[in-house]
Amino acid sequence: MSRGGAAAVAALLILLVLPPFFVDDYVQFILDLILVYVMVSFGFNIVLGYAGQLAFANAAFFGLGAYTLAICLGRLDWPFPAALFAAAVVGGAAGLLVSLPALRLRAYYLAIITLAFGELLRWTYVHASGLTRGSSGLGVPAISIFGIPVASDRARYWLFLALAGLTLWGSANLLRSRFGRALVAVRGNEAAAAAMGLAPAVVKIGAFAWSGVVVAIGGAMYALLLGRISPESFGLSQLLLHFSIVMIGGLGSLVGSVLGAVILTAAPELLRDIPGLEEIIFSLLLIGVLLFMPKGVAGLLGRLALFRERLYLT
Amino acid sequence: MFAQLVVSGIGQGSIYALVALGMTILFRVTTVVNFAHGELFMAGAFLIYALLNALGVPYAAAALAALLFLFLFGNAVERLLMRPLANAPHLSLAMMTVALSYLLRGGVRFLWGGNVRSLPPMFSFAPIEVGPVVIDAQDAVIIASTAALLVLFFALMRYSRFGKEAQAVTDSTRGAALVGINVAAFQRTMWGVAAMVAAVASILVAPETMLYPDMGARVLLRAFAAMTLGGFGSLGGAVAGGILMGIIEQLAGGYVSTAMIDIASYIVIIAVLLLRPSGLFGRAEVVRV
Repeated sequence: MSRGGAAAVAALLILLVLPPFFVDDYVQFILDLILVYVMVSFGFNIVLGYAGQLAFANAAFFGLGAYTLAICLGRLDWPFPAALFAAAVVGGAAGLLVSLPALRLRAYYLAIITLAFGELLRWTYVHASGLTRGSSGLGVPAISIFGIPVASDRARYWLFLALAGLTLWGSANLLRSRFGRALVAVRGNEAAAAAMGLAPAVVKIGAFAWSGVVVAIGGAMYALLLGRISPESFGLSQLLLHFSIVMIGGLGSLVGSVLGAVILTAAPELLRDIPGLEEIIFSLLLIGVLLFMPKGVAGLLGRLALFRERLYLT
Repeated sequence: MFAQLVVSGIGQGSIYALVALGMTILFRVTTVVNFAHGELFMAGAFLIYALLNALGVPYAAAALAALLFLFLFGNAVERLLMRPLANAPHLSLAMMTVALSYLLRGGVRFLWGGNVRSLPPMFSFAPIEVGPVVIDAQDAVIIASTAALLVLFFALMRYSRFGKEAQAVTDSTRGAALVGINVAAFQRTMWGVAAMVAAVASILVAPETMLYPDMGARVLLRAFAAMTLGGFGSLGGAVAGGILMGIIEQLAGGYVSTAMIDIASYIVIIAVLLLRPSGLFGRAEVVRV
């Protein structure tokens, strides 16, 4: 990285750390929520954008992360770092599990099995009420990290920022590694990738596992932020939000993921009060993106040739 | 009890069979898996509800209107949303149907709210008793109409020019185009036909079921279970799988617990795809490169 680049990154970091000192409570909550969805979007984009796999399990990973954290903290009295680690492990394991059908011949088997998997989990949250308290919802206790309480939205912001930053750094490095290049090769042409000595199956499993880890950490953050989780938070409307963020931001672009999360999370609260309106607006946006800008907002910026190299790996 | 459960299962399963059949004919001709198919079914049911309640038209007229509207709607979807993506990657086509499903669900929720609604029963004759088994009037109508429709449909596929063209387009779009079939127009018609088959399911089921915006997603997963069980892409398999799925659900509900009714289809999907992805009647697929 050049000296100018390093200075720019340092300036950006300082800017990102400052908001809690200036904004009001409501804006702070929205900022925290944006960070949650930045995380989710990083994870989903790896499967949908980089590996090119249509999978509907994202809300399931998200819910697993949230419930694992809530159960480990509230029921087992684990310290926060251990609970977060458990959420990541459970998410990774789920990612591994659903990637198995992705290895079969037909692509839409994956879509169908992941759809069933998500609904099955939601049913489990409702019916395993001994563990999850069912439809009435499960409370998430306040946390402290190594003795420092993290109880307000402001304190959580820094925690979330650190987690999102680490994930972005990790994901970006992963995607630039041999593994990332292999992922893009497999998306392009599986047979050609295999002919070049890559193992498409291993690459896909890796992508799903990493995606599961990242999205589950996002889910754990979501549980912390809301303080109470219930099964209906992890259904089809949650999934629509995830799809919209990734597609509108830009498939296969981590910067696009950030943009998508900012645009859609900051969408006015008004949408939530009128039944169906959120679904209508988000789906129209999705249709518009599919028809007119298949690479999303990031693609639009890329077309201006400002930083084409940075935005896309491919 | 067993026979009773099987009979109600066939009634339920007929609806899954119709929805799965619509998705399968569309899939065979366009290679698109339509994730909005459940919502087409749901929209048909709400259309009938609106016509009956707001305009007070007779049921038959509402049913005809639903058929016609969904046929036109299917055509419009193909022309406006799918055709422009003809050269896009497959992921985009699937995403488009996902977006359409949310649009329809949001539209219905916006117009009617999230409340559960219901229609009065279409037929009020007494249940039919065959030995110890009682067949509900509505179930009897559903089973008989589905059977009649299936005979008509398979006869059409086998003996009509339309059926032969469908087979040609399924085998190879390029080959079909070479022998003079207008493939784009054919696929558009097929979207209309598939949507119309969904409307048939709504017509049959609307009077006895609860109407709510998410009812389509519920049926979509059961139709997927039917298709995977019967072998993906097989017309007969979709029908057999649908009826089998209805029976499995009822048996699981009767012998295990009623909570099992909701997840029987998910378990079937996961088990079949992991153990025998070609389904009961499908052939294992070989991909040549």
